[in-house]
Amino acid sequence: MKLYELIARNPHLQYIDAASGNSCRLPDLRSSLDLTDQQQLALLYLDNSIAAIELLLNCLDSRLTIALLSPKLHTAYKQQLEAAYAPYYIYDPTREQIQEYTPYKASATISLFRNQENRANIHPDLKLLLSTSGTTGSPKFVKLSEANLVQNALSIIDYLPINSQDVTPLNLPVFYSYGLSVFTTNSIAGGTIVCANRDVVQKEFWEDSQRYGYTSIAGVPYVYEMLHRIGFCRKEYPALRYMTQAGGKLNPALVNIFGEYLAARSKQFFVMYGQTEATARMSWMPPQALLQKPGSIGLPVRNGQFCIAPDTQELLYTGPNVFGGYAHTAADLATFEPLPVLHTGDVAKQDDDGYYYITGRMKRFVKLFGARVNLDEVETILKQETNGGTFACIGREDQHLLVLHEHADLEDKAIRQLLSEKLHLHPSAFKVQQVDRFVLTPNGKPDYAAMQQKLHEKAIATA
Amino acid sequence: MYTTQQLHDIFANALSIPPDQVTADLSYQSIPEWDSVSHIYLITELEAAFNITIDTDDILEMSSLEKVKDTLRKHNIELV
Repeated sequence: MKLYELIARNPHLQYIDAASGNSCRLPDLRSSLDLTDQQQLALLYLDNSIAAIELLLNCLDSRLTIALLSPKLHTAYKQQLEAAYAPYYIYDPTREQIQEYTPYKASATISLFRNQENRANIHPDLKLLLSTSGTTGSPKFVKLSEANLVQNALSIIDYLPINSQDVTPLNLPVFYSYGLSVFTTNSIAGGTIVCANRDVVQKEFWEDSQRYGYTSIAGVPYVYEMLHRIGFCRKEYPALRYMTQAGGKLNPALVNIFGEYLAARSKQFFVMYGQTEATARMSWMPPQALLQKPGSIGLPVRNGQFCIAPDTQELLYTGPNVFGGYAHTAADLATFEPLPVLHTGDVAKQDDDGYYYITGRMKRFVKLFGARVNLDEVETILKQETNGGTFACIGREDQHLLVLHEHADLEDKAIRQLLSEKLHLHPSAFKVQQVDRFVLTPNGKPDYAAMQQKLHEKAIATA
Repeated sequence: MYTTQQLHDIFANALSIPPDQVTADLSYQSIPEWDSVSHIYLITELEAAFNITIDTDDILEMSSLEKVKDTLRKHNIELV
């Protein structure tokens, strides 16, 4: 069954626009937009407004293949993506015009850009494209099918206590796999979904929380850091039933603080693990085991299996939510080949009770404020912007990204400012260090492990 | 004694924007740079610069340059 049909079968579902207080039900939104009946590509720079959700639902009900992206992406990156994929439709309320595209009123309130010359050869199974790196504007997408979306949502509904009385805020972006799964699972099995672009450091979010009685809150690690900072656990939330966390490893102290706060009030805290390549979810921690198994990513979701590669200890996942390959250009949309095994890039171990733990990472990325930042792509950006300079980027504990370089004339502040602008991340996420020379591997590539080790020794020596 | 200029400099630094972008009508999310991440950073910088502890409710209240000044006034900090 299609995702849209599952959503349409939920009689309790309503969407509330927090900005106006208006509510609507799915039949009000069905076919509210005039969209093509062909399978074409639509690039959607979506926020969490009711208009964006209306568009998303209409697209799910259509034959369109949709790519979900952040509206805050740098315009130059948006143009690169559009050049690489030549979409039929573009939705981007932040731009007045787009070259080679004509404004198209899909309804009285929602406008798209359209280029009817653009025709893509798209595999019939390919429904959704999600970006893995929200910020570097890389044209690399994860290819997902209708079945991936449905299976992911059902496996989450299997363990989360979602019910028709729920009032769920969309406080994570829907262009992000975790935020999208909050949307899909609650649309299928929940009750009221509140659409707004409000986050937890805004008073309006908490006013909405009281007005509507939010029953759950979802957050990546930095959302929990903010919740802690604003004194979340010093107050009471009678309607709240559970909270979820994913998108990277949460500081163990905060797992305890939130775990204990919620358990003491008979509320549940779900710590979860996943990747966009698995549509979102691979494992979850049963709340009753959370405080006994610190640092665990829990057990695989229903219909999913983990195994640990004997030689590398890499965590491997199989399940019906595993993606159908990456796309780098429009030509890649013609194929969809479900992978038998997802290589997570994380190194893991399993305890005697069957619980899994991540112990390291093989892939070259760092998570900053919940966004996966590809370190090789950052090096490429720096090279371009400095006319061919050489840089080595290292992720440190998912706290910051360290840029090493050999150029005596480069100012630290300028590099941090540049990356902040290009990646739309706060400059405090970047540290810069000039070194005499890089450590290289025998075949002349930067030896990141050795450089990391050297920094570690230096830190100990100066401590 | 603190000056408005000092406050503007704290804003420029915390939000990572040029000082001339710190205008009287600046508010949360009115520019992309003032988001949830930089907001927490701003609070930390304000606490350090003025040697105060900002109440958790005030963190949510401080959603514009004007409201930040109101909160500072509660801590008996007047800017000249």
